[in-house]
Amino acid sequence: MIGKWAAPGAIILVVLASWEAAVRLFQVERWLLPSPSAIGAELVDSRDLLLRHTLVTLEEVVIGFALALVVGIAAAMAIAYSRIVERAAYPFVIASQTVPIIAIAPLLLVWIGYGIWPKIIVVVLISFFPIVVNMVDGLKSVDPDMLNMMRSLGAGRRQIFTKVQAPSSLPFLFSGVRVAIALSVIGAVIGEWVGSSAGLGYLMTRSAPQFLTERVFAAIFILSVMGVALFALVVLVERLALPWNQWERRSRALERL
Amino acid sequence: MITEMVEPATGPGIGETGAPPRIKLEGVSKAFRVDGGPLPVLQDVSLTVRAGEFVSLIGPSGCGKSTLLNVIAGLEDPTAGSIRFDGRPAPRRPGAVGYMHQKDLLLPWRTVLDNAILGLELRGVSRSEARRRAMDMAEQFGLKGFEGSYPHLLSGGMRQRVAFLRTALANQDVILLDEPFGALDALTRANMQEWLLGQWESWGKTIVLVTHDVDEAALLSDRVYVLTPRPGKLKMVMPVDLPRPRSYEMITEDAFVRMKAELLGALRTEGGMG
Repeated sequence: MIGKWAAPGAIILVVLASWEAAVRLFQVERWLLPSPSAIGAELVDSRDLLLRHTLVTLEEVVIGFALALVVGIAAAMAIAYSRIVERAAYPFVIASQTVPIIAIAPLLLVWIGYGIWPKIIVVVLISFFPIVVNMVDGLKSVDPDMLNMMRSLGAGRRQIFTKVQAPSSLPFLFSGVRVAIALSVIGAVIGEWVGSSAGLGYLMTRSAPQFLTERVFAAIFILSVMGVALFALVVLVERLALPWNQWERRSRALERL
Repeated sequence: MITEMVEPATGPGIGETGAPPRIKLEGVSKAFRVDGGPLPVLQDVSLTVRAGEFVSLIGPSGCGKSTLLNVIAGLEDPTAGSIRFDGRPAPRRPGAVGYMHQKDLLLPWRTVLDNAILGLELRGVSRSEARRRAMDMAEQFGLKGFEGSYPHLLSGGMRQRVAFLRTALANQDVILLDEPFGALDALTRANMQEWLLGQWESWGKTIVLVTHDVDEAALLSDRVYVLTPRPGKLKMVMPVDLPRPRSYEMITEDAFVRMKAELLGALRTEGGMG
């Protein structure tokens, strides 16, 4: 466990140390590039303010991601189950990814207003795509011989879905969810940038013109911690929910030896 | 060409042979649509399997053996010809016939026991009752002590025995086996063949086995059908009149060797075991 974290930990320490040294050595202005220690001090000094805005952003991420998960799974099931739905809807799902979200965000503001919803919608738009695409792949990737075996045991369509397709699509779903959770944080910040009165994205857009650069960095730091923590949470849930997937991967790796 | 079927083509109750055959295929052809044109896979195949018989289909790769099993299982409809079970048109809905594949097709998230009870569960038998029945049979299938294990811990031979237990518990009296030992190493395969021989002799099920292993076909079967390369047609029917119970030692006996030579000869004239 220690060995696993040693390399990235060392890299972070080296980067922070050289950053700190460079800022002090060249006497870089605080508003241009604050030192890590100044950012750390800001994290401590403004903790109440930062916490308040963090919770707003986290709320947008969690609600948006949960909605994306529900909508994404439902859409994937419809697409995998019905060829008509697939032909009709799948091109739009893919096309939706070519539309720059940052261009849509201001429109959402015009249509819906300043509340939490335009941010949630941006999060949903940005994170539901990897969920849908991976889940569709998962539902479709079941071995046709497995389906024949189920049919020969007398299974109906619904039974095949619940006993085989759904469980075997879960590893695929989790790959999509890992990507989606990271994108969700980005989505919330984009939503807040465009127009908001709270959240870490708002705090950044307000602090930058005031040359409160250490506060911008503090917000960035919190956002990356949030992203990594949510990602780690997903990995943990996956391990607990699908232990068999780990075994299968390990035994496949052993077979290759 | 040996023809040994003299049963009447009409329904039950006619003639003195008593009950109509368990499975009867007449003039079954199957073509797939490939790139707009038809690709004939099976051509005019007729065969008969009586209740409790063990019948094998052998032929070169790509002769449509597996398609033939799919047609018998009701997973695919034939392009022409008829399939009758006990003299009645075969059930359209799959599920009436057990089917076992070369791959074990175990669900990795289920234990040995829960994989085995899949067929019972699908039919609405409660899990506890199904598990009890599976436990009773675990020893017979060499799975005692492994009931709670997950498939990734088992050897290929054991995994295949779990698949056999799943098929046996589903309790369909016709079982189709599609190269069930094809993925196993030679030693495990020989053990499994001998094990199946013993099992079948006590089950009394009707079995159709597809294989390209001539030893396997001759050792296990009452009758062997040889198919030609695609499109698969019946080339030869050979009754195997070795006494039962059989054992693996028989494969070195004269009668067995003669039969094997004849089967190999029939296969070879059609372009060998591609």
